[in-house]
Amino acid sequence: MTGPDETALAWARARAGGPLRVPVGTPAPAGMLRLPEPSGDGAWLVPQVPETADARVLAEMGLAGPLLEQPNDTARLLAAVLRCCWPDPLAPIWPGVTAGSAPVLAVFGELTGPRDEMAHRRSAVAALRRLDQAGWLLWDETADTIRLGPRVALWSGSDLSTLRQLWRTMPGPQPAPPAPEAAP
Amino acid sequence: MVILAIRLLLSPVGDNVSGLSPGEENVTDDGLVQQGLDDLAGEAAVLRVYRQAFAVLAREAEKMILSPQLLDVDEAILSAFAASGSDGLTEEQVRNACRAFPEPTVSRRFEVLKGYGAVTKVFERPNERYYRAAFAPYIMLLFLRRIAERGGQSELHQLLSLEHESVSAATATDADGRASVERLTQVFRLIANELSIMSLGADVVQLRENAQLLWGNEALIRRAEKVHATVLERWPSLDRECQWLRAGLAAYRDAIDAAAARLIERAGTTRALGLLPAEEWRTFARTADTERLGAVLDGFVFDAPAPWFDPQVMTEAVETGGRPDTARMPPPRPVGDADPTETSPATDQDTIRATVEDLLATRDFVEVNEVLRMAPDWAAARRLLAQLTAAHHDPALPYALTWAEGLDVAEAASPAWVTPGRLTRTETQP
Repeated sequence: MTGPDETALAWARARAGGPLRVPVGTPAPAGMLRLPEPSGDGAWLVPQVPETADARVLAEMGLAGPLLEQPNDTARLLAAVLRCCWPDPLAPIWPGVTAGSAPVLAVFGELTGPRDEMAHRRSAVAALRRLDQAGWLLWDETADTIRLGPRVALWSGSDLSTLRQLWRTMPGPQPAPPAPEAAP
Repeated sequence: MVILAIRLLLSPVGDNVSGLSPGEENVTDDGLVQQGLDDLAGEAAVLRVYRQAFAVLAREAEKMILSPQLLDVDEAILSAFAASGSDGLTEEQVRNACRAFPEPTVSRRFEVLKGYGAVTKVFERPNERYYRAAFAPYIMLLFLRRIAERGGQSELHQLLSLEHESVSAATATDADGRASVERLTQVFRLIANELSIMSLGADVVQLRENAQLLWGNEALIRRAEKVHATVLERWPSLDRECQWLRAGLAAYRDAIDAAAARLIERAGTTRALGLLPAEEWRTFARTADTERLGAVLDGFVFDAPAPWFDPQVMTEAVETGGRPDTARMPPPRPVGDADPTETSPATDQDTIRATVEDLLATRDFVEVNEVLRMAPDWAAARRLLAQLTAAHHDPALPYALTWAEGLDVAEAASPAWVTPGRLTRTETQP
């Protein structure tokens, strides 16, 4: 349906601004992944490049990717969000569920180890902002809720199995972590 | 002249079969900067061309120079002769002039040069001590180095120009034209064969090493065609020979295409930018226009602006996260064997100072054997000695330990023998 111009425009927009929020009924341009919102209100368009041309190529060629501040803390926070917003690791990762920020921060605290309360809060918020901006998660600051962003749909099957293992090694959002057998 | 040069470059069996004898390593160690891999590769290329150039002339295998350093020695010897004036040089003088190189290597090379006639006696008589050198070997050296540097291609260009001149000359006969065309046919056939065999079977590294043969070939082919056109115009009877030359050129073109295609194909699958020499890339980056430069990445789309999270990296981050204390602990050391100045310098300094001051009291020096004999047992004496030594070596402490000659032996005393020495306070107490 979409002509080459719209496709190119959508790609350029996505290139500049990350995943696109589009109204319901918009067809996906070529090469883009269409992710419906769970509320049924619109959808996300995520550019999906072949694996031979995505960010991994940069690592393979020894080139620096986009600079990420505090990469380890950011990765830990993403892992914590993954643990809280992906209730069943055998289910598809998108759309996941919405979680409050408190359990996410609690899991993040478990992952980072003991820290000063302020420092903990600061690094968590910084990582949330970074991840939200890049579309890895959606952070509703006013409602203080977090859910996974559309970009998580770009993880490949093998990536997801690694993430499932990671998911199982992490403590759950509840004070009492669920037993591993509890997973269906 | 050529024969002389060949003699120069051929050396007897065993002269340097293993490539790098310890002597030559000294050459590189002797003040010359440590060579990088690029230099080594360059040397290897030089040597390859030397070997190729002389392969047809060597009488037996392994009778050629196997190391670029030996060529440097030859050059040094010849330049010593050049500087010597008309008297010539004795062998000792040559060795002295080449003292930057190991002497055995120089003498060996001198013998080789002598054996092949590159260096001869000034007068042919017994007991003649002065030698003179022929100029031809040096010219050959220069010529070879030049070929090696440019891969022989610029020589090929010059050869083509010369051929063109000679066939265009008014006095040229059809025999000249025939000979010229035949020579060129041979050259291009050889290059084409080498290239096409390599593009079929050789590994990419080898292909890359010979990439020189691929570059700038358009001009080469154009020049050859010019010669071809001139010859064909002047002597139409030579059309048979000219046809061979055309076939040779076409084969060369095909071989270039095949080799380039293979290089490109390999480059595409491996993304190995190292397939071409770094110089080629630099030239390309400097001379290509924006469109050509951009075309390099035509097949790539980078989703660059957003950071990518590799699950593996995430797992690592999570795994390393929970450890509150990742500071490294020093490995355990055997008790009592530690160097007192090393373990915790600040406190040790004070202990040492206190100990030494105790011993010195108000004096400015104290005899070591007295101190050691005062100690209650051998172990205590050993500890004391350690502290005195530490005091001596610590630049912050104003004590010096000086040892005298001799040995003070006392059968009954606790350290049965002590070297007399004295601990001195080197400056006034602060």
